[in-house]
Amino acid sequence: MDIKAVKTGWKKLAKAIEDVDYAVFGYDYSVSLEQSNVRDFATMMLDNGFYLVDLMAVHVAPSIEVVYQYAHVETRCRVMARAFVDSNNEIATISDIYQGANWHERETRDFHGVVFTDHPYLEPIILAEEDVDLKPLLKTEAALKDVDVVRRKQPEPKVETAAAKSQEPS
Amino acid sequence: MAMDVEILDDPKHHRYVLNMGPQHPSTHGVLRVLLELEGEYAMELLPVLGYGHRCHEKIAEHKPAKSFMPNTARMDYLGALIYNHGFAQLLERATGIEVPERAEYIRVITSELNRIQSHLLWYGAYLLDLGAFTPIMYAFDDREHILDILEDVTGSRLTYCYFRVGGVSKDIDDKFVTSTRAFIDRLRSRFPMYEGLVNGNVILQKRLIDVGELDPKICSRYGITGPLLRGAGVGYDLRKSEPYSIYDRFDFEVPTETKGDCMASFLVRFREMEQSLRIIEQALDSLPEGPVMAAKVPKKLKIPAGDYNSSVEAPRGELSYYLVSDGTDVPYRLKVRTPSYSNLSVIPEMCQGMLLSDVVSAMGALDLVIPEIDR
Repeated sequence: MDIKAVKTGWKKLAKAIEDVDYAVFGYDYSVSLEQSNVRDFATMMLDNGFYLVDLMAVHVAPSIEVVYQYAHVETRCRVMARAFVDSNNEIATISDIYQGANWHERETRDFHGVVFTDHPYLEPIILAEEDVDLKPLLKTEAALKDVDVVRRKQPEPKVETAAAKSQEPS
Repeated sequence: MAMDVEILDDPKHHRYVLNMGPQHPSTHGVLRVLLELEGEYAMELLPVLGYGHRCHEKIAEHKPAKSFMPNTARMDYLGALIYNHGFAQLLERATGIEVPERAEYIRVITSELNRIQSHLLWYGAYLLDLGAFTPIMYAFDDREHILDILEDVTGSRLTYCYFRVGGVSKDIDDKFVTSTRAFIDRLRSRFPMYEGLVNGNVILQKRLIDVGELDPKICSRYGITGPLLRGAGVGYDLRKSEPYSIYDRFDFEVPTETKGDCMASFLVRFREMEQSLRIIEQALDSLPEGPVMAAKVPKKLKIPAGDYNSSVEAPRGELSYYLVSDGTDVPYRLKVRTPSYSNLSVIPEMCQGMLLSDVVSAMGALDLVIPEIDR
């Protein structure tokens, strides 16, 4: 796999691509997508030989974020692609591209109520049928955090201040 | 398996639904599969999950991350230490805690013992599913030795909670080293017996060869990992591909097969036991002295804001923990990606048009642990 070519492909679809320190965060790239691009992105990943590790949702303000984790079997390249759902809690399914996403999407619907449009069978999988509206992993209003709160903090750029200079031994 | 079903005039007329599980012995736990049969052929399969759902991810959002460790062991009761390992590694990465050398070695040794133990149980239970009663007696005989060894050091026999953030809870002693070495010799001497008794058996081969074939393409569409993927010819093992802990220091192979049928994953698992023995042997030879816990692990372990991932090779494939932190010591969101969940999802496609008896072969080859699917 040629990671440079793959990254060029991502750039056409992504809002932002961030290199991530594997030693600390355990994955290599973070890709933010518009929700209309998740299907194109999945197709591109499948064509490049990635497999879908996981699909999950995180409830943050202002809306629910769906995270797709991809990895490659030949070289270490672990990618977290993320997209927000729309105002109806909807996002397109990728279960016709990655069939493994089928159950993960059903689980995400169980836990967060995310509706994956055009999913072939979006029925409860982990929860019981009568708990279809339970959505247990949605946060209460008090516990809900803004998306910036759960994002990693970029290291502060070093600024040469007079105070810092005066502490240096002369 | 080719679909050589004689379709009678009105195939719908001859179809009926058979309910397999949740108490069926060959689903190995509370899994239910609805089968639409035509004669003895399974035309449609619908797995029904969730009987053993214990809300682990919800629990994780309500207590300090450190105290989630016992929960990890209760997801995959056969790979508890490896689940411990992944979770400890996740928090260590996030907080920058260094694990002492000796603790890393102990983690590897006990994790690999755990892996062999899991494979031995699968070996016995799978053959039992296929109608061979004797092998499980031999496999459990060997497995019992591992359980005794691990019980001495961890205090439990199955749902271990032995690893801590920053190391392991208790040092190993000379008795552990001698009995582990004795076990290595014992299991090695038993492999030829297993091969003669079981692997070459013509009935077994007829039940496994050409049944449930998977190719690398279908594996990546479904996210299938572990021995099934290696049986399909892809040498993907996170211990080699993304070497975590100290696995890069050991000389071991990743067994692969090419056909991707049930026999392939059977042989891969069998050979993996020998590779695990090699890792344990090397780790025992180079076991350093020193502490087994990091000097300073804060009581309240604050995780800097951000999202973290930790992937390890569990006996059934890739296990990933994904943690989103808001800067406190309680996870904002914790997602556990368990290998069996993705592996099982291939069943409807893999088993379509199969004989019912082959469905049992194929499901056994997935080496399912239902509690890790339901979480």
